[in-house]
Amino acid sequence: MRSKVLIVDDLELNREMLSAILENDYPILEADSGKKAIAMIQKYQEEIAVVLLDLIMPEVDGFMVLEVMRNQSWLKTIPVLVITAESKAEVESKCFEMGVSDFIKKPFDNAIVRNRVKNIVDLFLYKNNLEEKVEKQTETLKKQYKLLVMQAERLKESNVRIIDILGTVVECRNLESGEHIKRVKSFTRILAEQMMNDYPEYGLNQEKIEVIVSASALHDIGKIAIPDNILLKPARLTKDEYEYMKSHTTRGCEVLDNVEGVWDETYSKISYEICRHHHERYDGKGYPDGLAGEEIPISAQLVGLADAYDALVSERVYKSAYSEDEAFHMIVSGECGVFSPKLLECFRRVKKKFEDLNHELKKKQEEFR
Amino acid sequence: MTLRECYEKLGGDYEGTLGRLSSEKLVQKFVMKFLADDSFALLEESMAAGNYNEAFRAAHTLKGVSLNLGFTRLYENSNELTEALRGGEKPENEALLGKVKEEYQRTIDIIQELQNG
Repeated sequence: MRSKVLIVDDLELNREMLSAILENDYPILEADSGKKAIAMIQKYQEEIAVVLLDLIMPEVDGFMVLEVMRNQSWLKTIPVLVITAESKAEVESKCFEMGVSDFIKKPFDNAIVRNRVKNIVDLFLYKNNLEEKVEKQTETLKKQYKLLVMQAERLKESNVRIIDILGTVVECRNLESGEHIKRVKSFTRILAEQMMNDYPEYGLNQEKIEVIVSASALHDIGKIAIPDNILLKPARLTKDEYEYMKSHTTRGCEVLDNVEGVWDETYSKISYEICRHHHERYDGKGYPDGLAGEEIPISAQLVGLADAYDALVSERVYKSAYSEDEAFHMIVSGECGVFSPKLLECFRRVKKKFEDLNHELKKKQEEFR
Repeated sequence: MTLRECYEKLGGDYEGTLGRLSSEKLVQKFVMKFLADDSFALLEESMAAGNYNEAFRAAHTLKGVSLNLGFTRLYENSNELTEALRGGEKPENEALLGKVKEEYQRTIDIIQELQNG
């Protein structure tokens, strides 16, 4: 508890006069030089409630004491009241500039000294308590914030893990090769980054792209609900079979509905969009909902194109692989899917990147075999 | 001699000082202590040694004490000398120290009279 009053004056008579005023209310410390004053403040930092300071002293004067108190940040918690016979106005303003709380000119009135000291002591007691409280609360808030960041990080990890687990389910059933999922993810990333760059109106950013890329692994999750005789049929599907096949989009959404609530909203929303809408067409003739133009979520548009491209350049049970050039022209000409002009523009710009990636991945695949 | 008579003889401000220091006992106590204060001796020494910075501080101290104790004349004389010494200058008016000395001596004499009853 701060309660002590430090009286700094080189003249004993002056210290006694001040002490007489205050000794009934506060324990008094005295210093007869600036040097001793500094040593005492250092020693009793937590106990001094106020310093009564004389300005004109030999060697270390009142201004030097103030300077030290300011540099040591003592002035933040210990107020200084200057008492002097100095009548020059510039001395008073210099004192206030240096951070003193009050300035009393001699001759002083005992009652006024007593009241001003009381006011300053009470004010600083209140201020110090308040600051201590704020500091504690800030500390608590910081801790809580850290915890929140950690939890958000964990949540994000678990979101990614859920997607990976679901993605593995698709792979395990050997519907598409694991490579298809990896390639779709990579093509999606290339397209999305180009899109972010060229068309800011889609509001893409690195964070959203991570979610889209990650969720693209689930685009065909609905296929786990399609019977093998349709899914793996090494020939053209009948009309009914094809209709059934198309339901993998809505069936995928049903699968995702079951994980709803377990993962983050952003992840579930984007995964849902991709599952349901990656076979929509820009002209409205796609499925399952016949969405047209920008009604189709950008996530689904990106994955739709990446999926179509990969299907073309890959070998499937029912077809052999097209060359990269053929695949490129089929998509750009609208022969395979109908995409937004902006998306197609991006696709043209990343043609080379797609091809490089395709080479690289195919090479790896062959090495693996 | 009463304290009031002492102040009258000094030409000091008794009422004002009593009002500020709030009790006669306190005023008397500090007036007596003034006898033992060596600010004037320090002033005289430092003037003689040509140390005007120290002389300034001593004059300033004397001015402050006499101001607070209501020794009006001593305050006026020491204030004049203080301003002349400000910045560590040698005072142009060499009579100033003499004026302070004269008033200081007179003050001490009167207080001693009070002390002796």
